[in-house]
Amino acid sequence: MGGVLTKFLMKHPSILVFLGILSVFTLFVTVGSEAFGVGFISTSLVKTLGKTLCFCLIAIAMDLVWGYCGILSLGHFAFFGLGGYMIGMWLMYERTRLIVENSMANAALPPTPAEIQEAIGTQIFGVVGGAEIPTIWMFAHSLPIQLALVALVPGLLAFVFGWLAFRSRVTGVYLSILTQAMTLALALYLFQNDSGLRGNNGLSGLQNIPGLEAMPQSELSIYFFLLSALALGVGFLIAKLIVENKMGNVIMGIRDNEARVRFLGYHVETYKLFIFVLTAIMAAIAGAIYYPQAGIINPAEIAPIASIYLAVWVAIGGRGRIYGAVIGAALVSMLSSWFTGGQAPNIELGPLRVVWVDWWLVLLGLSFVAVTLYAPKGVGGLFDLLKTERSK
Amino acid sequence: MNEALLEVNNISVSFDGFKAINKLSFSIFEGELRAVIGPNGAGKTTFMDIVTGKTRPDAGEVIWGEKNFSLLNRSESQIAQLGIGRKFQKPTVFEEQSVYDNLLLALENDRQPLSVLFYRRNQSDDAKIEEIAAEIGLADRLERRAGDLSHGQKQWLEIGMLLAQEPRLLLVDEPAAGMTLEERDKTVALLRRAAKTRAVVVVEHDMDFVRKLDCRVTVLHEGSVLAEGSLDHVTENQDVIDVYLGR
Amino acid sequence: MLRIFTILMAIFFAVTPIVGQEANDIVATKLSIAVEKNAPNIIKGSVKTASPIIAELVETDDPAAMRFLSLWQEKSLWYRKTDKRIFAVKEQEDGSFDLLDFNNLEVVANLPKKQIKQIKPNSGLRALIAESLVAFRLLNEDKQVRQEAVANLARSGKAQHLQPLRAALLIEQDQVLKNEMQRLETLLTVQFGETSQERVEAIKSTTDSLSVDTRANLNRIVATQIKLNSELPETANIARVISPGSTDFSVEQAYDLLIAADLAKPIPTVSERKQLLIDNIENGKVDGFTIHNLATEKNRDAAYLSLVADGKVPFWSPGLNAEILVAQYEFVEVFDEPDANVTTAAMAALDTIERKVAMSEFADVALDGLSLASIYFLAAIGLAITFGVMGVINMAHGEFIMMGAYTGYVVQQFITNYTVSIIVAVPLAFGVTFMAGVLMERLVIRHLYHRPLETLLATFGISVALQQLAKNIFGTQARPLTAPEWLDGALVINDVISISWIRIAIFGLSILFFVVLMVVLNKTRFGLETRAVTQNRRMAANMGINPNLINMLTFGLGSGIAGIAGVAIGLYAKVTSEMGGDYIVQSFMTVVVGGVGNIWGTLAGAVMIGFLQKGIEWFNPANTLAAQTYMIIFIIIFIQFRPRGIIALKGRAAGD
Repeated sequence: MGGVLTKFLMKHPSILVFLGILSVFTLFVTVGSEAFGVGFISTSLVKTLGKTLCFCLIAIAMDLVWGYCGILSLGHFAFFGLGGYMIGMWLMYERTRLIVENSMANAALPPTPAEIQEAIGTQIFGVVGGAEIPTIWMFAHSLPIQLALVALVPGLLAFVFGWLAFRSRVTGVYLSILTQAMTLALALYLFQNDSGLRGNNGLSGLQNIPGLEAMPQSELSIYFFLLSALALGVGFLIAKLIVENKMGNVIMGIRDNEARVRFLGYHVETYKLFIFVLTAIMAAIAGAIYYPQAGIINPAEIAPIASIYLAVWVAIGGRGRIYGAVIGAALVSMLSSWFTGGQAPNIELGPLRVVWVDWWLVLLGLSFVAVTLYAPKGVGGLFDLLKTERSK
Repeated sequence: MNEALLEVNNISVSFDGFKAINKLSFSIFEGELRAVIGPNGAGKTTFMDIVTGKTRPDAGEVIWGEKNFSLLNRSESQIAQLGIGRKFQKPTVFEEQSVYDNLLLALENDRQPLSVLFYRRNQSDDAKIEEIAAEIGLADRLERRAGDLSHGQKQWLEIGMLLAQEPRLLLVDEPAAGMTLEERDKTVALLRRAAKTRAVVVVEHDMDFVRKLDCRVTVLHEGSVLAEGSLDHVTENQDVIDVYLGR
Repeated sequence: MLRIFTILMAIFFAVTPIVGQEANDIVATKLSIAVEKNAPNIIKGSVKTASPIIAELVETDDPAAMRFLSLWQEKSLWYRKTDKRIFAVKEQEDGSFDLLDFNNLEVVANLPKKQIKQIKPNSGLRALIAESLVAFRLLNEDKQVRQEAVANLARSGKAQHLQPLRAALLIEQDQVLKNEMQRLETLLTVQFGETSQERVEAIKSTTDSLSVDTRANLNRIVATQIKLNSELPETANIARVISPGSTDFSVEQAYDLLIAADLAKPIPTVSERKQLLIDNIENGKVDGFTIHNLATEKNRDAAYLSLVADGKVPFWSPGLNAEILVAQYEFVEVFDEPDANVTTAAMAALDTIERKVAMSEFADVALDGLSLASIYFLAAIGLAITFGVMGVINMAHGEFIMMGAYTGYVVQQFITNYTVSIIVAVPLAFGVTFMAGVLMERLVIRHLYHRPLETLLATFGISVALQQLAKNIFGTQARPLTAPEWLDGALVINDVISISWIRIAIFGLSILFFVVLMVVLNKTRFGLETRAVTQNRRMAANMGINPNLINMLTFGLGSGIAGIAGVAIGLYAKVTSEMGGDYIVQSFMTVVVGGVGNIWGTLAGAVMIGFLQKGIEWFNPANTLAAQTYMIIFIIIFIQFRPRGIIALKGRAAGD
């Protein structure tokens, strides 16, 4: 197996280049961090960078499903969010349990298990007027099970939805609208107070890792950053293994001419389903690493618009090339937070004042139109131009 | 006489009241080359759609092979895996992929996702692909992007892909459309060679092309068979002259 | 007669030793006598002491007495500080007051304000007076007074009002008022009728009315209380036997009844037991049990039992189960109303009414559904044209709706007459969004005709930009788009069914759009050319049709309709920069569910989605979010079975 991988890497040096750049970047951030280095990179910046790496991972998933398989899914952020919710349940439950047990330690009588459960319930679900812990939290005490659910729940949702949609041959824009509908339904469901996931309050305090209370956030943020980088590296490798293989030929064939692939004897639906579920799980894992760094998750983040932005990142970065997705996600999400964070210098044009917090979205929307019209291959397409220049 | 490879009995299909196929019956034997001709709207393409599972007939049956398998209610991919290959009217190769990849996709192999995912290039497959490439005259273009091929080359690539599938029955829709005379002759030779090992059905408009194929001809009109026999036989048929040749 | 008068005078003087000259001016009537007698209590004005006085005054049956009560109620009675005599007053220009005799309103004296004081009954007393006057006022000549009296009756009708009401009913001329009186008469009879027979008849005649107070009245009759059967007299009017543990009657409630009846002792609850354990902690132990072992229910129970054995705490044992205890008794629901005939009739009447109400509610939901369907239709029809006819998916469609709504808002800033402004806004909104649509088609969509997924993303970019632009221009708060007065209010069909005029107008507008578009697409040259371009672009071009022009105009038309839809939607919802997003997904669903490519399909899709959403909301009215969730899931499943929508095009043409 190891030999196969080596051979594969030898054949596709671009993977090594990518992993190399990622490693150097990771090292750079670690050395620059407050906890492990000279400290010119603030903890909040480390978190932002870690979150951006998660965005890059979900962008890879999006590129696989859209750029390679031709399914413009407007629902992958739903899987991202679900992954976040799954890990968030454990984080919130365990942390609350520790707090509750601590505070009850000095009670006149030591608390019974039922009293602890009730106190945890009140603590978590008080905001939505409940005290009972819903059934869906039955595994929240167990990290291994919740970790498994990170992949299983979004995977199962993707499987059921994909099975239904692909079976009935819904394709193209119809499929996009359908995925959008799925996302909307999920978001609306989670917005309800009796969804069992705290309605629009969402889950919060996720940056505090139970059992690691003593560790400062500056240190924790680096560990999560490294985890994000590792996940991105693995995700990149897996994506490459898929697309630089016969599997890649099949799914690109499906993208370009679904009927032809079918008449070649491939069961197209199974392949689409495979890619859809796989990328959903990738998205979910990205979410599960993202939200402990973000600290809070709520249903608004699952809304269809987020998934459309995901498509925007991938389109700007360049579809059908895995590194393009990474570039797009990193570029647009970093620019977005720079502009909307009020850090970008405003432009004074006499009486006209361009405040970027207000005008960034207008710029983004229009530049997106421009990219679609004039650079359908995105930023990644520029690399292609360079390559052809050199080969000439 | 042995059993027919494909037997189509009394199929009918209509779209919004228009009868595209009307009680059509048709059969073809192993190793037979057959041309199907007919005017526009005669139901040639719909007939292929039905056989390959794209369209479901309203009535009738489609029976396949020695075991008399019914092809109705089977998916396109299942039918393809049973051994029916189809070439479309427009050349449909995967333009973004190399000639090699196109042929690899078509090559007779396990079509299950897992075996595809863990597929590893091997010498016997490479040899087969090279052999087919030589057959269709693209041996020196294996690493070229399929989209960069000429129109005729694309047609051959597609026929090559069909051959790589190793089907028992080949359905070929208008292979000569848009080809130069020279290319046509090459195509005829290709098809005739293919028909030695498998059944081939060629749908074609072009009479010269059909004549060169030199095979049994079925004339379709308004969704049913009007005449069947050698080309000379059907061209003497008055009905055929009326609806098709005498236009 | 003379004798009576002398006696009265004697009493009068005996009770009221007043200055002779003035006394002679005061007419001695039953009224005066009663007032003099009760003057201190009238001035004090508490409900308790005043109510017998009011009864006494009402019994005099004297119009002047009624006037006296009215004055009292209106805080128009004053009294003289020196002798506590009560007068009506009239303020003079110099600030002094004329004192008037309340019998005939003649002036008897004039005093400065300092020497008199106003009588101010509290609101409870004023209500009591008003109630007592009802019967009298029902006969008043002034229609307004009678109306007020009837309204008062509707609020707080009493048994004693039944007779006056019946009397008034006989002579009432005004038909509206008479109908209302008739209705009240029935309701009062239902409650206070003398014979069981009379009440049952009245109850039966209420079933035509769906009004809330009729139902409230009947519900009052069938009101029940839960009691222990053994505690009841033989004659009790029992509704039904009820077993504890149901949703209406918990075991705890049943057990409380047992405690109240002294049939059981309270069971210490878990938290009470815990508190008692804590109270009995001594040196880290509870009756020999170390505290840190008390972290389970089992050990706590053991400790408590040990305390019970020592007699330190109230009795409890694990087998002490309220459920088993209450099961030994029979509990019943008893009507407050003793007459079984009446309650039976009332139950039957309520049944009938509720059935009718349910039917009306159903009709109301259907109307709501229809109204929602027409909104979805309006929002989606423009999309159906661009998506269905041109195959272009326009994510900015919602923003065109928003643009139309803001156009309406801007017009209202300049034209204050709402009717005129709406008349101006509709074509203007069409024009603005038509131009925006044409511009977008020319600049963006034209280049993307063969890349539908990229059209989706490019138009999404436009949608984001437009939304933010609107936010920058108009701010984030909602802007009003006010409907003209003639669209205010609602069409009320009965007490349950009503629909606002705006929604009716939107319904009308949808019908109009439907008809106009059917005509435009099927009967005009433009429609013919559009269909030709849709079906075969090259062939159409060969026949002299300019496909670019047709596409441009079609897109403009679809966008323009979105603009008009925006004005209509803005009238009943708020205008915000995000309003487009609220409709875009539903609009797509409408088009997809209905079937792409024809207007009938959009109509069918809108009707299905509108009715479905209202239908689901009906089953679960508290949770509209859930309703939307379930509706979307239903649509996703529906698409599985009809991927081409309700009204599908068939054949080869539809496939490729």
